[in-house]
Amino acid sequence: MGVLYCLMSLGVNFIYGIMKVINWAIGEFFMIGAYVQYLLIVFFLGVRYWYIGVLIAALCTFLLGALVQKILIKPMFVGIIEEKMEYATIVTIAMAILFRNLAIFIGGPFIYTPPDYAPPTRIGPLPVSGNNVIAFIGTIIILAFFFYFLKRTWIGKAFQAVSQNRPGVLTAGIDVLKFDMIAFGIGTALAGAGGALLAPVLLVYPLCGVIPTVRGFEIIVIGGLGSIPGVFVAGLSLGIAESLGAAFINPSFVDIYGFGLLMLILLIKPYGLFGKPERSV
Amino acid sequence: MGKTENLFLFFKKWSRGKGIEEIMNSQSRPLLDIKNLVKDFGGLRALSNVSLNIQKGEIRGLIGPNGSGKTTMINLITGIYNISGGAIYFSQDRIDGLQPNVIAGRGVIRTFQIPRVFKDMTVLENMMVPALCQQQSMAEAKARAEELLEFSLLTRMKDEPAKNLSGGQNMLLQIVRGFMKKDLRLYLMDEPFSGVHESIKGIIIKNIKAMNQEKMITFLIVSHEMTTVRNLCHRISVLHKGELISQGTMEEVANDPLVIDAYLGGE
Repeated sequence: MGVLYCLMSLGVNFIYGIMKVINWAIGEFFMIGAYVQYLLIVFFLGVRYWYIGVLIAALCTFLLGALVQKILIKPMFVGIIEEKMEYATIVTIAMAILFRNLAIFIGGPFIYTPPDYAPPTRIGPLPVSGNNVIAFIGTIIILAFFFYFLKRTWIGKAFQAVSQNRPGVLTAGIDVLKFDMIAFGIGTALAGAGGALLAPVLLVYPLCGVIPTVRGFEIIVIGGLGSIPGVFVAGLSLGIAESLGAAFINPSFVDIYGFGLLMLILLIKPYGLFGKPERSV
Repeated sequence: MGKTENLFLFFKKWSRGKGIEEIMNSQSRPLLDIKNLVKDFGGLRALSNVSLNIQKGEIRGLIGPNGSGKTTMINLITGIYNISGGAIYFSQDRIDGLQPNVIAGRGVIRTFQIPRVFKDMTVLENMMVPALCQQQSMAEAKARAEELLEFSLLTRMKDEPAKNLSGGQNMLLQIVRGFMKKDLRLYLMDEPFSGVHESIKGIIIKNIKAMNQEKMITFLIVSHEMTTVRNLCHRISVLHKGELISQGTMEEVANDPLVIDAYLGGE
């Protein structure tokens, strides 16, 4: 199950890697992706074309994220070369409150249940939810595309360069602020795609992004803030810890096992598995 | 004929064949024209009414004791800092107030005293970064990057992550990467020889001379290495406590009482 929250964590880490801003509204972009997917498959596409819904939900959250970045966050970065921008983080908190309340205002405080993407199935002798399998496979495909984009394409290399040295790319002629906007859009699109994939599992309501946000940040802290490989390793570790805890201790306290792993990792590696110190003397 | 000779011939094709006398005697308007430049950091005036102009094709040295405002000057020209007063013209266009990437887009590239390389990317990938914002095919850019790496004796390291390079090699990489800019016209270098091994220093000088002579690229070089500055630069400007106190050839500057006072701490 941990892997299913990787898209959220990846979205936060990608934005942080480029802009050094933590997007606390990531859960609300997850929620918007879930709402868009619900509308699409219930009223327009039908459940057969759920995968087209995921793509459209990702596109919508990309455009919304890029727009919000351009209007609310970008102005703070004009003339700033590489300092951290804590104000931008506060803006994302305000955004989270705004989007959550807008969802209540528009859709009401109701829980919407999208139809299942796939019927229950079996893996060997074990019965598993078809929705979980779809979400797992979808997440893996999106992660693979993202890694390919980042590591194998020249535009991905440009993002790497921006994350490693902003003054270096800025003085080489690259418009860093444009990269910020696209990165913010990609980060929110990852969350939106996660929301669309998990809509039948976590259902659709104004607070449906809260649990994935908590899990997503657990993964970030375990893997290390800003580390892209850390997200995948931490997601897997979290899932394994929860499954083992549920199987051998007590399935009622599944959330606690993840936090136990988090505390254990922080005791051994305070910056997470792949994280680096942000401040030094 | 080796690849290095081929590269020289490649540069030769671009040559305008002007000598420095012709450049200095040129009546054309300067490539870089700085007028009454002022920079304040709160209550501290880092630069005070500095006026300076550089002709196209010139290699200008910028020297001065620590804290005299040399790096601040480069930061102002490249848009890293905003000016507090005065004006900066590049090719007759006012460039102060523009974003650093826009200034770079006009052909003004710089290096930093501490090399700004992309440590987790390979040497070749580092070289390709300027090409990512140019109208240029990646294959063409890659071929050019490999030529430049060959000329700078970095070819054998092209697939190494930049973090594995020495400080001097990182400086060399940072400098050579700047030459990837297609329409490079003014190259500002901040302490390019600082902490660099003699052999690498030689390669850097060879690069600067080749690009200046064959492609008419103009250089402004901040350095404390007087011997290198003397051998490399056509003219020298001296900053002291944020003011331009002398300009001329190395001999003229070295005999200027104001410069002697600045360096030896006279009254």
